[in-house]
Amino acid sequence: MITLTHYLVLSGILFSLGIVGVLRRKNLLMLFFSTEILLNAVNVGFAAVSKYYGDLSGQIFSFFIIAIAASEVAVGLGLLVLWYKRSGTIDLDSLQMMKG
Amino acid sequence: MEHILSIIVFFPLVAVFFGFVISKESIKTFGITVAVVEFLLSIVLWIGFDTSNAGFQFVEYFPLISQFGVSYYLGVDGISLFLVILSTFMTLISLIGLNIKKDIKNLVITILFLEMTLVGVFLSLDMILFYIFWELSLIPMLYIIGAWGSGQRVYAAIKFFLYTFAGSALMLVGILYLGYQYFLATGTWSFSVPDWHLLVLPFNMQLWLFGAFFLAFAVKVPMFPFHTWLPYAHGQAPTIGSVLLAAVMLKMGTYAFIRFSLPLFPDASYYFLYPVATIAIIMVIYAAMVAYAQEDMKQVIAYSSISHMGIIIIGTFAMNAEGLTGAIFLMLSHGIVSGALFMLVGVIYDRRHTKMINEFGGLATVMPRYAAIFGVMMMAAVGLPLTIGFVGEFLSLLGFYRVSWLMTLFAGTGIILGAVYMLVLFKKAFFGKVTKDENAELKDLDKREFTALIPLVALVVILGVYPKPILSTIDMSVKKMINLMEKKALLPSTKEFLIRVNHTGGKK
Amino acid sequence: MEKYLFVALFAPIVGSLFSLLFTARKKNVITALVTSGLLLFSFVSSLTLLFAVHDGLVLHVKLMDWISAGSLNLPFGFIVDNVSVIMMVTVTLVSSVVNIYSMGYMAHDKGYNRFFTYISAFVFSMLILVMSDNFVGLFIGWEGVGLCSYLLIGFWYEKESASWAGNEAFIMNRVADLGMLMGLFLIYWQFGTFSYEEVFAHVGSVNVGVVTTIGLLLFIGAMGKSAQFPFHTWLADAMEGPTPVSALIHAATMVTAGVYLVIRASDLFMLVPEVGHIIATLGTFVAVFAASMALVNRDLKRIIAYSTLSQLGYMFVAAGLGAYWIALFHLMTHAFFKSLLFLGAGNIMHAMDDELDIKKMGGLFGAMPYTAILMAVASVALCGVYPFAGFFSKDAILAAAFNGGNFYIWFALFIGAGMTAFYSFRLIMLVFFGDKVYKKLGFHPHETYPFVLWALLPLGILSTVAGFFEKPFEEFVTKVLDKYEFSMAHSTELGLIFLTSGFVILVIVATIYKYAKGGFSKQLETMPLFLLLKNQYYIPKLYEVAIFKPYYALSRFAWKQIDVRIIDFSVDMIAKILYRSGQQSRKMQSGNLSDMLRWMVVGIVILLAIAIFYRPMV
Repeated sequence: MITLTHYLVLSGILFSLGIVGVLRRKNLLMLFFSTEILLNAVNVGFAAVSKYYGDLSGQIFSFFIIAIAASEVAVGLGLLVLWYKRSGTIDLDSLQMMKG
Repeated sequence: MEHILSIIVFFPLVAVFFGFVISKESIKTFGITVAVVEFLLSIVLWIGFDTSNAGFQFVEYFPLISQFGVSYYLGVDGISLFLVILSTFMTLISLIGLNIKKDIKNLVITILFLEMTLVGVFLSLDMILFYIFWELSLIPMLYIIGAWGSGQRVYAAIKFFLYTFAGSALMLVGILYLGYQYFLATGTWSFSVPDWHLLVLPFNMQLWLFGAFFLAFAVKVPMFPFHTWLPYAHGQAPTIGSVLLAAVMLKMGTYAFIRFSLPLFPDASYYFLYPVATIAIIMVIYAAMVAYAQEDMKQVIAYSSISHMGIIIIGTFAMNAEGLTGAIFLMLSHGIVSGALFMLVGVIYDRRHTKMINEFGGLATVMPRYAAIFGVMMMAAVGLPLTIGFVGEFLSLLGFYRVSWLMTLFAGTGIILGAVYMLVLFKKAFFGKVTKDENAELKDLDKREFTALIPLVALVVILGVYPKPILSTIDMSVKKMINLMEKKALLPSTKEFLIRVNHTGGKK
Repeated sequence: MEKYLFVALFAPIVGSLFSLLFTARKKNVITALVTSGLLLFSFVSSLTLLFAVHDGLVLHVKLMDWISAGSLNLPFGFIVDNVSVIMMVTVTLVSSVVNIYSMGYMAHDKGYNRFFTYISAFVFSMLILVMSDNFVGLFIGWEGVGLCSYLLIGFWYEKESASWAGNEAFIMNRVADLGMLMGLFLIYWQFGTFSYEEVFAHVGSVNVGVVTTIGLLLFIGAMGKSAQFPFHTWLADAMEGPTPVSALIHAATMVTAGVYLVIRASDLFMLVPEVGHIIATLGTFVAVFAASMALVNRDLKRIIAYSTLSQLGYMFVAAGLGAYWIALFHLMTHAFFKSLLFLGAGNIMHAMDDELDIKKMGGLFGAMPYTAILMAVASVALCGVYPFAGFFSKDAILAAAFNGGNFYIWFALFIGAGMTAFYSFRLIMLVFFGDKVYKKLGFHPHETYPFVLWALLPLGILSTVAGFFEKPFEEFVTKVLDKYEFSMAHSTELGLIFLTSGFVILVIVATIYKYAKGGFSKQLETMPLFLLLKNQYYIPKLYEVAIFKPYYALSRFAWKQIDVRIIDFSVDMIAKILYRSGQQSRKMQSGNLSDMLRWMVVGIVILLAIAIFYRPMV
């Protein structure tokens, strides 16, 4: 029997993987992947809890997140392509213009 | 006479806008004209002032943010009347004595703006308005010290600004909290002082609020150990800045003690009486000692201001009519005397570009008139009877004697130590032989300096001999305030104390 | 009669203000003439008032209100009664003489006009002091004379020692004034008023402890002004001022203000004989202590100054023992002969080009016989030889000491009288007789202007005859002051008088004999006692080492260490800590995206931790 706990553990594992990815990866593309994993970890959690309580709003929220993730990736990838064209690299450390 | 207070507050501001279009050559004349008009307005206020009415007069009120009780609320009583006149008078005098050529236009405009804020502080009866003027007054002074000062002027200006500003931050919290308390008590918001005077606060709350206000006022006064900004500010400020700073701005702190701390928190004031008085005594003695050790003339006078402010605090916390009236009168007299002394130091600084005492000596031979006026001011500063300095000092100490004779004795050493540093300064600078060639050819006071100083000398003597018209007006409002305190006092011990210190007679 | 009061009081200040106009200009005789005229005018008015008071008048005038605050209401009030009128006459008489004398003495001084401004201002302050009807009015005059004394001691301000002495006098008086102020505060809170009349009316109904405290505090003030131990050092240093000033202020008038205060407040002091006893004891001590310093001093003016101190001690003894009229009487006679002595000394200084060392004079009698005679008269009066003025007043003090059963006081004063005789005649002998040392040193002494000598004549006459007014004087002032009853037998009194007079005359004769023979040997000057006396018991040195220098060091310490190093440093430290922490945390903003993400994660973790562990509502 797969219980809520299993889903939440899965969500937690995914979230941790995402965090590690965000922290460790220097490649911008990989960063995007990691963010997607983070978002989807949350999605799993939302969907599971929604089913558990029988309340649809969690699942609706998941859809929102998917939509937002999609648009984010669209915009983000666009910027990334632009950045690659300009600097010839998608290494994170090349982005230092915000240094205070 | 209906809107005279608004006119007095905002006339300099209006003049400031005209000032921008006046040419550089005529700006000083313009400034003096405005200051004269402003001074005359304040005199008109005095003439129109009903000396038999102890409450607030010429009150102007309209709500600004009515749902939060913030209003434009002005009023004058015996306590603030003469401080307003002092502000306008000293601004006028310092403008007459003004001798700066650099960016004079900006300077005059700044001074006039400063005048508005000073008058505003003394006339506001709404706490938010008061706070606005209180903080606004820092900006012109910051600019004056920073732009026209000497030496480490930027450091001094920023220190002055940040120190006093930081001190006031807690006061703002206190103000908002008191407004909220008023809301809790009555269901409506109000920041007006007369409303607050009706508010009876629980003892613990009084303690906290007293503390919050105390820090702001103590930095402004400045009380030991929050005083170190003052010598820097005075040391670097141009003459006109020092004059206004010492003569008027320091009085904002002591005025606020009398206007807010005592009547709003009578029990807390009594509770903190001895600690505050101890600090004041430390101020008196310690500052007098430090003044004695100084090598810079201006620093001597700066520290002497701290010492005198200590006596004012002592008089204030005597909480009887003698002490409070004396404290307010001492504010006026210290304003006039310290202002004059700073101007006198400015005179010699203009000539020699140094203020170090050991650069001088034998000035009495070279500049006899200057020495004479300096001498008169010195005697007023050490509180010689029949000069303005005696009346306030005598009354303040007299008042406090009822509270504690021992503390009065310590505070009274100020009259000895004051004589020490002033006479030694005078001796070093004016007596002896002229040892430096640069000093041998110094010119005595010129017409401009005379015009600025003679009214001060006249006031020193006149108010020393006949202070009564001022004293009786102050006294009336002070008595009313003490009555209010007595009525509001929660603890029986406070009540007893107030009754005891306000009546003569031996122990029963 | 009120107009006489106003003339007497305000004529001097008018003169002062008039000559003030000339201070910045060259010497102008008109200032001296106008001030002298106005002082004489004031003297005549005072004399008129004296006669009027004798006929039973008591003037009480209130001018305007001065200070009013709380329940305090303080007018400028003046009273002319039997006590104050005596002081008025004494003050205006001596000051007129001194003023006229100064026209000669100051003739070549560049501060000529300024001098007369100050002198008249002094007289005005002194009159306020004696005429006020309340304690604060007295305090105005008290401080006013202090100011004038400061200005006149430091009159030759180019001299370092003069301005130093001025400061010393002012500051030392301030110390004592604080005591007096405390006394005034206590009076106010006890009685609710400062007026003599009301205070003395209720003083009986007040707790004795309080009255004692008031008495002691007032006496501290009196000690300062009358230069009693331990405040005595300023008086000797005050001799830096011009000699007429020493005569007027530091002998005849101002320094006696302390005695006047005790006499004026006699109603109060009478209730607390313990305080009176302290006063008398201290007076006795000073009488002998000061006389001992005069024994060996070589400075012409300082000898007379110590003598003044000693005589002030005598006055305090009388006042302390309740013999107020005797104190006042001695005050008056002392004013005459001591100012004469000083003015004579001024003549000598003038003749000797401001030389003060009496060992450098000698044999001046030939050059200035009139001065010599006048000074001899004053000295005899000071010693108390019959029939000169001092005889009557001083003997009365000794008798009062004996009468009260205070034999040790009497004995000390008796010894003091002998010392007085010794130093007075030592001075006379060394200055006017013996070898003409001055010739070797190249001085050309000459007698002063005749008008100056004429001006001194009234003082000479009064020093001689004033004593015979003892009975009328007693009758006059005891209308206000308490009578002093002698309980001892008349024969004892006579015996005492003969004993004292005999002793004094013996000492005088011995002194004259000894100095005519060439004086004491040099060997004496190496004795420890001699050195002790010569160095004024090392008290000025002690003050220097124990007070002045430590105070300066402490002040420097307070400034350099406490103010700069501790307080200001901590203030700046707070600012620096804030600034540094800002500098440090700037590094967070590296601009690197992955750094930012890391900080973001840290933030999330912290927020989560707070959300989990901090549950205020639960």
